[in-house]
Amino acid sequence: MAYTNELVADCLQFEEAFCSAECPFNLDVRDFIGKLQQGRFNVAYRTYQYTVGFPGIVSSLCNEPCKLVCPMKDAGGAISIRLLEKAAIDFARNKDPEQYNKPPKLNKIAIIGAGISGLACALRLTTKKYNVTIYEKSDRIGGHLHNMLPPDIFLGDINRQFMHEQYTLHLNTEILCLDDLCFDAIYVATGKGGAEFRPASGRDGVFSGGSLTGADIMHAIADGLNISKTIEGYLKTGIINQQEEIAGTKLIREAIRIITSNALIPADVDSYTKDESLAEAKRCLKCACDACVHFSPLMNYFKKFPKRITEEVEVTIHPSSLDGNATLATRFISTCNHCGLCKEVCPVNIDVGEFLLQSHRTMHKKGAMPWVFHEFYLRDMEFSNGKAALTRLPLGSDTSRYAFFPGCQLGASDPKYVMQSYRFLTEHFPDMALMMSCCGAPAEWAGDEALHKSALAKIKADWEKLGQPKAIFACPMCKQMFKRYLPMIEGEFLYNIMDEEGILPVNLVKDRAASIFDPCASRYEEELQKTIRKLSTRAGFNLEPLLMEGKLAECCSYGGQVAVTYPPYASNMVLTRIRQSENPYITYCINCRDIFAAAKKPTWHILDIFFDLGNENRKPPTVSERRYNRMKVKNQLLKEFWKEANTMEKSENELIISQELREKLNKELILETDVYTVIEQCEKSGSKLFDPDKLTFSGHMQIGNMTYWVEYRTMKDIGFELINAYCHRMKLGEE
Amino acid sequence: MPEKKLICYKCRKELELKKANFSYLGHTFYTDAPTCPECGIVYISEDLVKGRMSDVEMQLEDK
Repeated sequence: MAYTNELVADCLQFEEAFCSAECPFNLDVRDFIGKLQQGRFNVAYRTYQYTVGFPGIVSSLCNEPCKLVCPMKDAGGAISIRLLEKAAIDFARNKDPEQYNKPPKLNKIAIIGAGISGLACALRLTTKKYNVTIYEKSDRIGGHLHNMLPPDIFLGDINRQFMHEQYTLHLNTEILCLDDLCFDAIYVATGKGGAEFRPASGRDGVFSGGSLTGADIMHAIADGLNISKTIEGYLKTGIINQQEEIAGTKLIREAIRIITSNALIPADVDSYTKDESLAEAKRCLKCACDACVHFSPLMNYFKKFPKRITEEVEVTIHPSSLDGNATLATRFISTCNHCGLCKEVCPVNIDVGEFLLQSHRTMHKKGAMPWVFHEFYLRDMEFSNGKAALTRLPLGSDTSRYAFFPGCQLGASDPKYVMQSYRFLTEHFPDMALMMSCCGAPAEWAGDEALHKSALAKIKADWEKLGQPKAIFACPMCKQMFKRYLPMIEGEFLYNIMDEEGILPVNLVKDRAASIFDPCASRYEEELQKTIRKLSTRAGFNLEPLLMEGKLAECCSYGGQVAVTYPPYASNMVLTRIRQSENPYITYCINCRDIFAAAKKPTWHILDIFFDLGNENRKPPTVSERRYNRMKVKNQLLKEFWKEANTMEKSENELIISQELREKLNKELILETDVYTVIEQCEKSGSKLFDPDKLTFSGHMQIGNMTYWVEYRTMKDIGFELINAYCHRMKLGEE
Repeated sequence: MPEKKLICYKCRKELELKKANFSYLGHTFYTDAPTCPECGIVYISEDLVKGRMSDVEMQLEDK
């Protein structure tokens, strides 16, 4: 818990707007303006009236300290809150104060001085039905307001605010000694240079404030309102609490997304029309720090700020319910894309992603994370690091300076990417070794530290065997993983080498508009981002920037492998990304490319352009084809670079699957190889069911934790025809 | 929808509705499912998998 508290200690979510912190009354400007923005003048007026006591006087005399701190000051002009307050008064339907039907209170309170500070205190106390007596040495109320405003304005406001309340007023009564006053509490508000009693009297329950203590007119009113609360507290508990100081705000300018707009000058000098006030209110940014919820896909989708996230995660990890399973954030923890954007946009660098990663690890260690969220991807990683892995020195070399690390998904998307890249690299660096495996990201994202460590150890051992070469990456995510967990391995991007070698695309395009989609793992790879732009421009593209690029690079939805955990979240992310621009995208992460292409967004991988491999509309392979392609590329590499014979396994029987069913299997992440395994098992064991109407067989088998069902027909001398397949997470029988 | 007629290939017996057990994330359940009266092999339809079973799976993951 200490860690989580520390994590959000600096969070600015609850910090006040700059204007509110500067306001003598601490007016909640975000709330007030929010109401005005909706044209709700009446409720805006209520907020204002309740906060300042005397709305007419305050809106006439306020010297607008808020304007000095308004971030719009340099972006078209500070918001005229005072004029908006005036507009709230002008256009409110009902300006009379609320009438509260409360029983009278017995406590008697004396107020010395009928200036505006004393009256403000009296207003609050009489509203709460305290018995209030005001002593005024002159023959009128209002104190030095008489020097500032026409009496009809301020007296009108005073009379209106007191219309439902009663107090006893003694004019022409100068109080010289408090000892004669028999009251439960006394507020001394004798104004500037007025009599001060407190030190001499030595009795409890005496409070002073207003101009007497040096406050200007606005602070004098605010003092009166605030002291009423202190008095009430004292009367109820006998304890004198210091007046609450306005704490100021820790909000910082960088946290605000400023939208420039010109201040609205009222046609009438000192007041807005209804329309003018609406227009001016709409300029207000309602300053608050919400960068994380605005930018982070996870926090935006769930509308959760770091504090709430840490609280929910904390009770998920350490459940306090009797059955110990009130784990409301389990799925949420597993839905983080680990793209790093939340930390990048946070003005105080709160790293919610890292927190969720640590939490995921804890949940995994406890066995509390449902296996299904990551099992498919972990099996995929096992495949990439097992059957499909290939680590070799080039023929004839016993050590190497460089090793190409294409990552697991590049060849899965299309074997040509790896083949062409490796051809290019070996052409320029004949001692270029090959390290084809997975970087371990799926284990990291699954919170499985032990598996992650073993994957890293294998990479390190392979790297040492190759002579500790510099790794050449095609995937920014692999490089990011190496940088964090295998820092001893120096790395470089394939694309930088392509640029340095002055590579030219096979076909140049002519002034074709496109936008670069920077993968999230390229966030801090500024040089790489520049190189990709340079290469794309060299290929003839006319690049138009995306709003979210460079340091603000967004995850395509692949990060964290969250598609099983929260499918609607993942698909929503893809749509948001591809709708950023009408332009086709150029990217340099194969997962971004394939995910966007699957959503029908024309997207090139930069290698498509330079090696003339595929067009922007190439349909990405299915999950089954991705496995097949990995075996294919391994065999092609072995054949071309190591002169080894084809070792592709070929099954004895053919499995016929319709295109429609293939797509269903792909969508449901069912591998055709798994389907085949289930059929084989049914055939071998005879544990299968026969449907006499359809003449089909059905059977099931658990692979990993998942149970797969198949319905198929046997086809003599050919193999099998798959009719249907589906899977479930529940296990048949008891655990 | 009436359950379709299925025959256990091994035992040559028609399946009958019987109580079948399931477990997931430490919880166990049962429902009636077509089962071979002899060897006990069960059949779970896609409708059951995509419907009730999937709902319970999601609920348990969120619990």
